[in-house]
Amino acid sequence: MKSFVRMSYPYILWIGIFVVAPMIMILLYAFTRGGNSTLTIHFTLENFGRFFSDPDFMRVLWTSLRIAFITTVVCILIGYPAALFIANLPERRQTLMILLITLPMWINMLLKTYAWRGILLNFDDMSSEIKVFIGMVYDFLPYMIIQIHTAIAKLDRELLTASYDLGADKWKSFLKVTLPLSIPGIISGVTLVFLPAVSSFVIPKLLGGGNYVLIGTLIENYFLVAGDWNFGSAISLIMALIIIAAMYFTRKIDRAAEEE
Amino acid sequence: MKKILSALMALVLVSLVFPVLAGAEDVVEDFHGAVLNVFNWGSYIDEDEQVLESFKKKYNCEINYKNYDSNETLYTKLLGGDDPWDILVPSDYMIERLIKEKRLQPLDKSIIDNLDNLAEPVRNLAFDPDNTYSVPYLWQSVGIVYDTTKLDPALVEEKGWEIFLDPSIKGHAYMYDSARDAFMIALKSLGYSANSENLEEIDAANEWLLNMHRTIDPSYVTDEMIDGMAEGLKWISLGYSGDIAYIISENEDMAFCAPWQGTNIAVDAMVIPANAGNPRLANLFIRHVTEYESSLLISDYTGYASPNAQVLEELYGPGGTYEGNSAYMPRAGYAADEIYVDLPDLAGELNHRWTKVMAAQ
Repeated sequence: MKSFVRMSYPYILWIGIFVVAPMIMILLYAFTRGGNSTLTIHFTLENFGRFFSDPDFMRVLWTSLRIAFITTVVCILIGYPAALFIANLPERRQTLMILLITLPMWINMLLKTYAWRGILLNFDDMSSEIKVFIGMVYDFLPYMIIQIHTAIAKLDRELLTASYDLGADKWKSFLKVTLPLSIPGIISGVTLVFLPAVSSFVIPKLLGGGNYVLIGTLIENYFLVAGDWNFGSAISLIMALIIIAAMYFTRKIDRAAEEE
Repeated sequence: MKKILSALMALVLVSLVFPVLAGAEDVVEDFHGAVLNVFNWGSYIDEDEQVLESFKKKYNCEINYKNYDSNETLYTKLLGGDDPWDILVPSDYMIERLIKEKRLQPLDKSIIDNLDNLAEPVRNLAFDPDNTYSVPYLWQSVGIVYDTTKLDPALVEEKGWEIFLDPSIKGHAYMYDSARDAFMIALKSLGYSANSENLEEIDAANEWLLNMHRTIDPSYVTDEMIDGMAEGLKWISLGYSGDIAYIISENEDMAFCAPWQGTNIAVDAMVIPANAGNPRLANLFIRHVTEYESSLLISDYTGYASPNAQVLEELYGPGGTYEGNSAYMPRAGYAADEIYVDLPDLAGELNHRWTKVMAAQ
């Protein structure tokens, strides 16, 4: 057993260098001012004040959250029936269907988005917001379907039989048995869709035709163009906090659902 | 069968040996496979990188060729990483800053002895009057490209930059996502200098840009405007003359306008960072690129104006690739046109304000 523990050292080292260290640097940058000289450190909350006191930035944050939220809801609305349908197929067909759904996930996201861009160029009248949603839902839907499908497939079929025996019709059995028991699947689907969707900026950038400034674009802009690493770090940190909070709440809902 | 095989083998052997021999003859000076690190703008060299290939052969070296997409990215990378670049191609104002911060080394004029052929407009430039640190690579102006089937040329010429405040182009315009250029058109439109540091003027320009944002709701893009305009997806865009020369050569409905209010003339020039790993090879590279053949290949492919007088004549003149293509040849000597001056204290502020314009409702 001890030898297995040792085998995790490379991974811990990896995490330390590429995840923890950058996080600490972001933290340091976010609370300081004046980028390039690290010799004198002035701690300040200025960067955060600047972000939260600015109505334009708040709107950008709101837009990012809104787009991610709608994407997630649409993914559930399309993904749940799809997952339910697949779960009710015979075993071998299920494997095939899941394979078909996984297939596009193997293709690079940028490539898929460029393909969508080519297709959507032909629809002049479609608003850029709809185009963004099409691209986002297309990209994130498989994650949702697979998570929900796994939860439903795990379900004990006897429970449904029992429910029918007790006089519940199909719809009622679904509401009382299948749906509550598949909530953990929905929750992990939400984690896999909502969180990356908040910070996604390539899809809105490519499909939104440059009419969208989202939080990811802001961060990129302040780091690469403006060279203001402090403010960029502050926005990144705010994003990280939102994501952590979102994860905390989904966990909580998940646990509450399990206890029921 | 055996005979055929051996004949084939002989052919293969000959073809293997010959290029080596041919290559060996061309070597001017042997650098034994040393690596030259070149950091240049994206799609800013000839199509097949012939210019690099011939240099590699001439000096038996390797080239590590990387791209950046803005002066600010270049600067950030230069600060952030410790990759020792040998050649950079920043624009005028960024060169000025790099000189001021002592990040460049003087060029070796005993190697770069071919500067007599520089075209008149790119001689004695304010940021480096005697080419101590830099040799022009390509130059251009900022202008308007528009679809003549959608917009009346007389109207665009008459309005100049003000066309970007015209409600009739709402939803049909690209705006180049560059803080400095955006503020330039606003400042010029209001009759101020593109290098203004006067906060009142900058506030006014900021208002102008917000007004533009609300009136025409442009798509903020960078190089996407090149294909977009070539395909006629939008009616009008801000752009760089070289890109516009290309767009016009692809789509003849498109036309170029150099606004009467004046614009920015930009010169991108080759420089050698102070910490370059291989200065001698870098100086040789600058000389190589400045020669007629290389300069012709680069300017011909990119559509940007060559700093080499002979090449300019060749490409713009009768029978040249850009014969009569007004976007290829930046107007020279127009009093209202300006080269950017480095504004270190203002750069962050302009970027911040520009980001807010794009994010505004």
